[in-house]
Amino acid sequence: MASADLTSKQESSRHSQAGGFADAAPHPLTSLLRRLTGRVVAVVTTLLGLLFLTFSMGRLLPADPVLSITGPEVSKEVYDRVYNELGLGQPIWMQFLSYVGKIATGDLGTSATTGQPILTDLMMIFPATIELAIIAMIIGAIIGIPLGVTAAVRRGTIIDHIARIIALAGHSIPIFWTGLMALFVFYAKLKLVGASGRIDVFYEGLVTPMTGFLLIDAAIQQQWEVFQNAVGHIILPASILGYYSVAYISRMSRSFMLEQLSQEYIITARAKGLGTRKVVWRHAFRNIRVQLLTILALTFGGLLEGAVLIETVFGWPGLGQYLTRGLQMNDMNVVMGSVLTIGAVFLTINILSDFLYRILDPRTR
Amino acid sequence: MLKQLLTTIAITGALVTTQPAFAASPPNMLVIGTNLTGIRTLDPAQNNARTVSELISNLYDNLVQLSSDDLKTLKPMLATQWSVSPDGKIITLTLRDDAVFQSGNKVTAEDAAWSIQRVIKMGQVGSTDVALWGFTPDNVEKLVRAKDEHTLEIELPQTVNTDLVLYSLAGSSIGIVDKKTVLSHEANADFGGAWLSANSAGSGPFSLAQWRPNDVAIFNAQPKYWGGKPAMARVVARHIPESGNLRLQLEAGDVDVGQYVASGDLDALATKKDMVIENVPGLGFYYIALNQKDPDLQKPKVREAFQHAFDWKAISGNIMRYTGFPWQSMIPRGMIGAPEQADVRYDYDPAKAKQLLAEAGYPNGLKKVLNPSGAATLPFAEALQASARAAGLDLDLVPGEFTPAFRERKFEVLLGNSGARLPDPFAVATQYAFNPDNSDEARLGSYYLWRTGMKMDDLNSLIDQSMKERDTAKRTDIFKKMDGIYADMAAPLVIFFQRTDPYVMRANVKGYHGHTTWSTRWHDVTKE
Repeated sequence: MASADLTSKQESSRHSQAGGFADAAPHPLTSLLRRLTGRVVAVVTTLLGLLFLTFSMGRLLPADPVLSITGPEVSKEVYDRVYNELGLGQPIWMQFLSYVGKIATGDLGTSATTGQPILTDLMMIFPATIELAIIAMIIGAIIGIPLGVTAAVRRGTIIDHIARIIALAGHSIPIFWTGLMALFVFYAKLKLVGASGRIDVFYEGLVTPMTGFLLIDAAIQQQWEVFQNAVGHIILPASILGYYSVAYISRMSRSFMLEQLSQEYIITARAKGLGTRKVVWRHAFRNIRVQLLTILALTFGGLLEGAVLIETVFGWPGLGQYLTRGLQMNDMNVVMGSVLTIGAVFLTINILSDFLYRILDPRTR
Repeated sequence: MLKQLLTTIAITGALVTTQPAFAASPPNMLVIGTNLTGIRTLDPAQNNARTVSELISNLYDNLVQLSSDDLKTLKPMLATQWSVSPDGKIITLTLRDDAVFQSGNKVTAEDAAWSIQRVIKMGQVGSTDVALWGFTPDNVEKLVRAKDEHTLEIELPQTVNTDLVLYSLAGSSIGIVDKKTVLSHEANADFGGAWLSANSAGSGPFSLAQWRPNDVAIFNAQPKYWGGKPAMARVVARHIPESGNLRLQLEAGDVDVGQYVASGDLDALATKKDMVIENVPGLGFYYIALNQKDPDLQKPKVREAFQHAFDWKAISGNIMRYTGFPWQSMIPRGMIGAPEQADVRYDYDPAKAKQLLAEAGYPNGLKKVLNPSGAATLPFAEALQASARAAGLDLDLVPGEFTPAFRERKFEVLLGNSGARLPDPFAVATQYAFNPDNSDEARLGSYYLWRTGMKMDDLNSLIDQSMKERDTAKRTDIFKKMDGIYADMAAPLVIFFQRTDPYVMRANVKGYHGHTTWSTRWHDVTKE
């Protein structure tokens, strides 16, 4: 009996331990759901906050959205009608609530300056920006990471100095100026690339928009001449944007790599006679790739911001130019729709990089 | 690693250098680099601004037209002839019978009548000029009518100089649209407005091939145009907002015509042999507006002080070289009643301004807030601020977009510029000197004299007379008298420059002429 009691006590103790353990760490699915719900709430709150901030700032601007539609020399009747159509007579908080209510149904409003629904506009222009940013990031990553790693490995050598100069220039020279100078050299003088827009006007209309990504659409439809022309147009703005990300990526890669190179496991590996290439790429690089992922995610967000200026210089019909014009014309639906899009992309990238982080680094799970 | 880096750079370089040559625009295509910001629709009835007027003027024919080199002589277009009844009440226009819309439908008087009715009924900005003559949504259907297939009758609701009415018919907003086609696209009783925002239904020399707001507008030549097929098979208006980029493309030959080029780039382009800069006079001015609701600025001597506080000569040679010329009369140069010369009325004389201020009761000077109407007038405002200091006027410059504040009479001193499309002093006088009701409640924001808070009954009645008078000599006298009153009353709108719009062209482009009323037409453009 005694032994039976003991056994049952042990079992109940095991149960209670198991039960206690289950209380502390719920089922993985529950945990994931809880995490997801938390994320969704955080995303919605952040986007609402962003919208409220943008909306309030828009109302403080000394500009009149009615005049941006009608022009300054408009009669009182027309002015009043447009004023009412835009709902500007309502209190600001009501305007904001009505805007948020519309967003909930997927309606971002109509642009006062293009006359089209914001969603239609965004679907047309956003791929242009994404295309530009992706190519810029590829350029930034394939140059920036090897440059930063090399600079760390060859610390104090000429490569390190070059990397530092590139980083310094990337941080201090205005992107607007670099864009114009690059146009002057590569377009006007060397005639290597196209100037304004995504494509030369002679090629307009040859490719039917399918994905919105011109390079992909031209490739699918086997319009190779258009494809080449489009590459010639994107290469310069993407390289300049990419250069600015090279500056950041190389600096961060260098710093991460330097930290790893001073670790004991690297010293041990070297002491064992392992070659520099293997030490750097097989051992040290594996340990910095998670950090690099975060940097690349941040860079992509930064590229969307950088596109605001570069798109103006290069007449690139993307989100940056759309937003700038919206601001100039006080077209608040455009400004808020664009800000919302950029905000949503930022948050999506953050979430994605967070998940990838967990996959690549088991310690963070 | 260095090898890898160099390989990457080499691949990128190879990719770029394998590009096909980026050729200049072809000989049968005209490429216009411009600023398409803010064009939300290509419907004539909903527009009256500069760039969009040019685009619309090539999609739609008007009943009559004014060529860029002669703003006084009406020329036939869809109407081959017109007559005015002896009492001046009815204008009868005879339409040509060989004009067709791009749909293939024939242009009839019914289309013309409906187009005018449509503009008035829609009541958008496009109606601004033609509504001046008293047409309303209620009376327009009865007054503007098709007598038969080729005869259009326009009965005037009040006595108006019929030349003015015909001038307004030459404006881009009164382009004749294809009634049948437009009505087939009508939705929510919008007179086809939504459809026409991105499509065309005119009988002009070009049709709209593609329109992407704020990006590009592409026009194809109409081979069956009644005036003959245009030399340019295609015209492209491309949005190039950055002036430096536009300049490079003009130099490279990718762009044939450049609009809104910044003054620094204009300076550089002016030195090139293969470039031509045409400075087109506009019907508007650069002015200083002084709010008469402000007790200090109400004093005539203070307003006079402002006339002598601006060193306009210093900026006329640099920042205003391409955008305006010195002019101090309210009647634009070249118009009937305009003085031969009008740049000597107000000289920069800080001592005199100081003395005037002292006489007005401000021996220690006067401090006011100065707003530019927008970014375009900021350099002008900065120059005024600097020169006014020596005259005892301390102007606190607050930059931004202040046109709305101007319309609401919520400003002290403002620097602005204007434009008008009706090539007659009446249009400018209405803008600058008309104010039938000076009360706040009237909210007559389209009249500048109301915006500045001043009302002059003499001017109101003269403007009214100038609208009704049919004799040119008598009208000339009216405008001279009006200008005299304006000069003597120390007007709260101190005019310093008449506006000009610079157009840059490659020298091989022939037949492109910027138009004072913005109806630049491309039909006769060729490239050598």
